[in-house]
Amino acid sequence: MITVTDTGTYLYAVTRDTPPPCPEGLLGVAGTRVRTIANAGLLAYVSTVPLEQFGAEPLRKSMEDLDWLGETAGAHHHVVEVVAEHLPTAPVRLVTVYSGDEQIRDLLSRRHDDFMEVLTRIADREEWGVKAYVDLTAPSPATAPGPPGSGGPGTAYLRRRQTSLRGREEAWRQAAARAEQIHDTLSSFAVASRRHRAQDPQLSGRKELMILNGAYLVERDRREEFARVVEELRGQGVDVELTGPWAPYSFTDLADSRPEVLGDA
Amino acid sequence: MTESGQPARTTRLRLQTDSEAMERDLSRLVLTLVELVRQLVERQCVRRMEQQDLSDEQIEVLGLTLMRLEEAMTEVCDRFGLSPSDLNLDLGPLGTLLPED
Repeated sequence: MITVTDTGTYLYAVTRDTPPPCPEGLLGVAGTRVRTIANAGLLAYVSTVPLEQFGAEPLRKSMEDLDWLGETAGAHHHVVEVVAEHLPTAPVRLVTVYSGDEQIRDLLSRRHDDFMEVLTRIADREEWGVKAYVDLTAPSPATAPGPPGSGGPGTAYLRRRQTSLRGREEAWRQAAARAEQIHDTLSSFAVASRRHRAQDPQLSGRKELMILNGAYLVERDRREEFARVVEELRGQGVDVELTGPWAPYSFTDLADSRPEVLGDA
Repeated sequence: MTESGQPARTTRLRLQTDSEAMERDLSRLVLTLVELVRQLVERQCVRRMEQQDLSDEQIEVLGLTLMRLEEAMTEVCDRFGLSPSDLNLDLGPLGTLLPED
């Protein structure tokens, strides 16, 4: 039987069901009150949201509204941060909406083992983001201009073009190799690592080329060491940017944590 | 059609219908295509030169031609008040039409 409801249950994060309970007066997306649902030794942080905003159809439109998206992401992230202060927390992706509490309970029991595994993996660990940039417009160390030798101005012109084309290709190759090396070094310090897609300059707000957009799960008591390693990787034309600590968004993906029901299907 | 004194800087969504802007945009598009072809030919020449597919004379002639073409492009761009980066199209997920340097 399908009951028609006009609210859904928005899921923020999952933790083990241990005290302290939900922080009081915590507000989530669209100003809704955050509450918890307990089942199978797990605790889900949720709030009730109107489907006229969070149903499948309206979401398609809302997601294109950058103001709305910014506000929602901010609220979502705030809830995750607050919860993560006290407990190892598995954050859930932005706008994960279930049709009701019953489904969250079902999720907690059905995916119990997966959640437990994730929570064990992230306990006492933090996610750090590392972005590496390289300025490919910087003049590369001059390649030997080749023998001036034979030929007139036309030949010289083509040789110049050759040098500059090959120079650029070489610069790309070096940048890629450098990204690989940075990632390997950081990965060896991290418990787990993931490479996200590099952002283009419009998104990153920097005009240099992003060659690495990595996420690293690091033991909390090794954070200074990790920061030092990042510091040492800087240089030789590569700028490295460290951000965090973040709630471990990149390391809590369950194979299919996609909401099964969105809105009024 | 109204004839306002200064060319008003309209929002991007509005279609520019005054003839001056249209001429400029059209020449920009044409020049972009010419520049694309020029760069492709240039790369092809470099490749064939590396494969030693061309005689010294051929290299010299091709080089001279491409060089003059580049000079001509610069000159025409100057006349229309365009810079090299104006001749690039943003193809969204595919990146830009011409390599950015």
